[in-house]
Amino acid sequence: MRVALFVGCVTNVLFPTTAASTVRLLERLGVDVIVPDDQGCCGQMQLNSGYRDAGLARAAVTADVLERALTKADAVVVPSASCTATIRRGWAEAVSGDPAWHARVARLAGSVHELTEFLIDVVGVVDVGARFPHRVAYHPTCHSLREIGLGERPERLLSAVDGLELVDLPDADRCCGFGGLFSLKNTDVSAAMGDARLAAFAAAGAEVVVAADRSCLVHLQSLAEHRHTPLAFAHIADVLASTDGTLEGTV
Amino acid sequence: MTRTFDGADPFPTAASRALGDDQLRRNLARATTTIRTKRGKVAGELANWEDLRAAGEAIRTSALAHLGDYLEQFEANASAAGGQVHWARDAAEANRIVTGLVSATGVDDVVKVKSILTAELGLNQALESAGIRASETDLAELIVQLADDLPSHIVVPAIHRSRTEIRDIFLDQMHRVGLPAPANLTDDPPMLAAAARAHLRSKFLRARVGISGGNFLIAETGSLVIVESEGNGRMCLTLPETLISVVGIEKIVPTFRDLDVLLQLLPRSATGERMNPYTSIVHGTRDGDGPRTWHIVLVDNGRSSALADPVGSQALRCIRCAACLNVCPVYEQVGGHAYGSVYPGPIGAILTPQLDHITSVGVAASLPFASTLCGACRDACPVRIDIPRLLVRLRSDVVDANLTTTAEKAAMTVAGASLSDPGRMAFASRLAALAARLRPRRAPGAAGAWLRHRTLPRPTGRAFVTGRTRRTPTSSAPPHPIVDHTRPLGLRTSPMSASATDSRTSILTRVAAATATQTAPTIDRSYRAPRESDVVKLFIERVSDYRASVRTCDEASLPNAVTEALGSHASGRIGIPSDLPEQVTSKVPGDLVVDDQLSADQLDGLDAVITTCRSAVAESGTVILDHGPGQGRRALTLVPDHHVLIVAADQIHDRLPDALAALDPTTTQTWISGPSATSDIELDRVEGVHGPRTLDIIVII
Repeated sequence: MRVALFVGCVTNVLFPTTAASTVRLLERLGVDVIVPDDQGCCGQMQLNSGYRDAGLARAAVTADVLERALTKADAVVVPSASCTATIRRGWAEAVSGDPAWHARVARLAGSVHELTEFLIDVVGVVDVGARFPHRVAYHPTCHSLREIGLGERPERLLSAVDGLELVDLPDADRCCGFGGLFSLKNTDVSAAMGDARLAAFAAAGAEVVVAADRSCLVHLQSLAEHRHTPLAFAHIADVLASTDGTLEGTV
Repeated sequence: MTRTFDGADPFPTAASRALGDDQLRRNLARATTTIRTKRGKVAGELANWEDLRAAGEAIRTSALAHLGDYLEQFEANASAAGGQVHWARDAAEANRIVTGLVSATGVDDVVKVKSILTAELGLNQALESAGIRASETDLAELIVQLADDLPSHIVVPAIHRSRTEIRDIFLDQMHRVGLPAPANLTDDPPMLAAAARAHLRSKFLRARVGISGGNFLIAETGSLVIVESEGNGRMCLTLPETLISVVGIEKIVPTFRDLDVLLQLLPRSATGERMNPYTSIVHGTRDGDGPRTWHIVLVDNGRSSALADPVGSQALRCIRCAACLNVCPVYEQVGGHAYGSVYPGPIGAILTPQLDHITSVGVAASLPFASTLCGACRDACPVRIDIPRLLVRLRSDVVDANLTTTAEKAAMTVAGASLSDPGRMAFASRLAALAARLRPRRAPGAAGAWLRHRTLPRPTGRAFVTGRTRRTPTSSAPPHPIVDHTRPLGLRTSPMSASATDSRTSILTRVAAATATQTAPTIDRSYRAPRESDVVKLFIERVSDYRASVRTCDEASLPNAVTEALGSHASGRIGIPSDLPEQVTSKVPGDLVVDDQLSADQLDGLDAVITTCRSAVAESGTVILDHGPGQGRRALTLVPDHHVLIVAADQIHDRLPDALAALDPTTTQTWISGPSATSDIELDRVEGVHGPRTLDIIVII
């Protein structure tokens, strides 16, 4: 099986090692990975902030990129729940009265998978051969939980990781406060919400906080660093790719 | 006099300020967590909760899709039953109408049931200008009014106040407007509730004019539905000679039986109860029972504009349960005042910008951004309003109306461009690495906002995707965004002019135009399917949960059971309807007082009252009175402090749909689910406010 990797702009620019982890993980599972060298941004930031024209311009370009990629690969894998949600839902919701666009999006949606969806539903694997002996708090990001309904997939994958202890996190589904532009336009509230999550992770005895979105993680991680809260943060791809308990190149 | 939100700051400023209020945040966290947990429990109890939500969505959408027809139907039926229907285009007109109606009675002190619409209209202020005092009677609204404060929640408006603050407010203010608080008042919630009861009781018993809002208007029957806990609603709807109900046009529900969904969804979503203590269904005027004169003022005030937006009109489905507030992680941090509107929280963020009551465009334009789009509200909404989708839509309205800053627009353009292809993203990565090495603590604009609470990420400087630096041309033109409405935020495209056309015609014309292309969805009624239940056992369990006393007996031992239920009141003064079967009271030693139009004070002098009922609902422990034979008029079961209620086993239905199917929709009804109660004081449930504090139910098996 061969997949095309759509990395997402936050991961590409700020956390390239997460993309590298994703490739390493998939190849270890016998999946061929190509990385389209013309990929950009799905337009989520603009679409969610009210800049529809700009967002849809991004969406049109990325739709082309994905369609081209699907001529050379069986599926597109995205290590980001929020990018996946934008491609599958956001692109359609921003447009009305354009059946051709909706048909394109519907076709693409069937071939675009968030990473944990791909592993569980397509590859059919739960134990990916990882080792990560740490106490982990899994933070279900709002996009993964409510927009694309990842459900228990991430936790199932993490539970099968050698040595990994998933801590009990009460009220796990509370938003971390990132919300894209919200983190800037309402920075104080954003930080208060993030602080509440950090307190919950610490109270649960977590060493590492894991999520399926680098965007939420960068907010929490940067907040924790500012507050001198001793927590590590990792994308689920980084954990699942690890075979020696370390996070290559990530903090 | 209650303040208004005029002059409120836009959300970011107001929210940041609220974060500094530790007391507020403690109260909010406790309150919202409590209601969330209770709601989760009672919603989880119903295996068909999702079916009910789907039906609720369909019923409210149908109502809006044919709003004009239903409004006319309501008007015809309400008028035929003795109501007088008025139409108001906007706040000014509504206030003029109500003030005129009150002035015509010569009364200068009216009692009010909680109504957010009247706060939206600024009705109290308008009445005050005409020399009329509107006394709020809902406990939380009383607290807010006495303190010259602002409401912070849709269901529990004084949630931001601690019990100690409430005690101080009562001690400092009650004497200015009526019976003073007792000098030894503590902050114990039952004592506070008792103080409110005493203070308001004299107002209720003397009230000549009552003003209410309305939870629902039933088109099929012309009835008004009021949902409450304390009994102040029943007091205002029943005791005064004149009742004026002010209701938004979007509150229409097509048929009486549609309540079988809405009144399962609302109490569970709002307060986490299976059913609220009192629901009143007012059908016209009744001789010798309740107000002689009933006015209903139907208010538009921007609703017909919101209705015209195929996506935005979803917000009008709202049944004011505030479940969205209780699950919102943003609201939990800052409370309701930060939203600068009588409608706070997620629903406020989508309703306020679409209605007409906010004069500050700055506030209205900030509300769609007062959210992280987490979606918890969408999951909690009983009528499935897609709040995040509406927020995104309203955000594009703000941008299209040029209400964002130049700095923001520029930053978005730069950000968008720098992420458009691998070459530019590689450059952005290098830039980010460089910026991080500088370890700045402060910066202007967006970067500054980030740095207030966060460090900068420290990327390696190498993006992952290495690719062409040339931009890839698109193969096709970008798709068009939604352009199905042209109403810029905060402005009406077709304002309601003060034309010669009467308001009724004007409103109905706008509504018809707005709904011309809307279709009503089909309503899946499979939630009405009956099931096997031991209804008597379930009813007794559920009534006990409310802490009403319940006992069983057979027909022969009913008189003994009645006397037992009366307890020490058995030798006192006991009110009965004239048609209560004699046998029921054959073992009662005390004075039996037949209610032949007893005055309010005489009713207040009774120790207890005994009645039968029309039917009951096992699932929620609800007893339904339609004030027919053996049940007495409404005031009889409201004013006395102890109500003994007789239910026959064969009157008990399993669930609400079963009970409503057997009722005559054109009756005036009172639904009782426990003694009166309030959760307005720090969410501590306190029994016994205005309605009977003791409820004894006897089931004849």
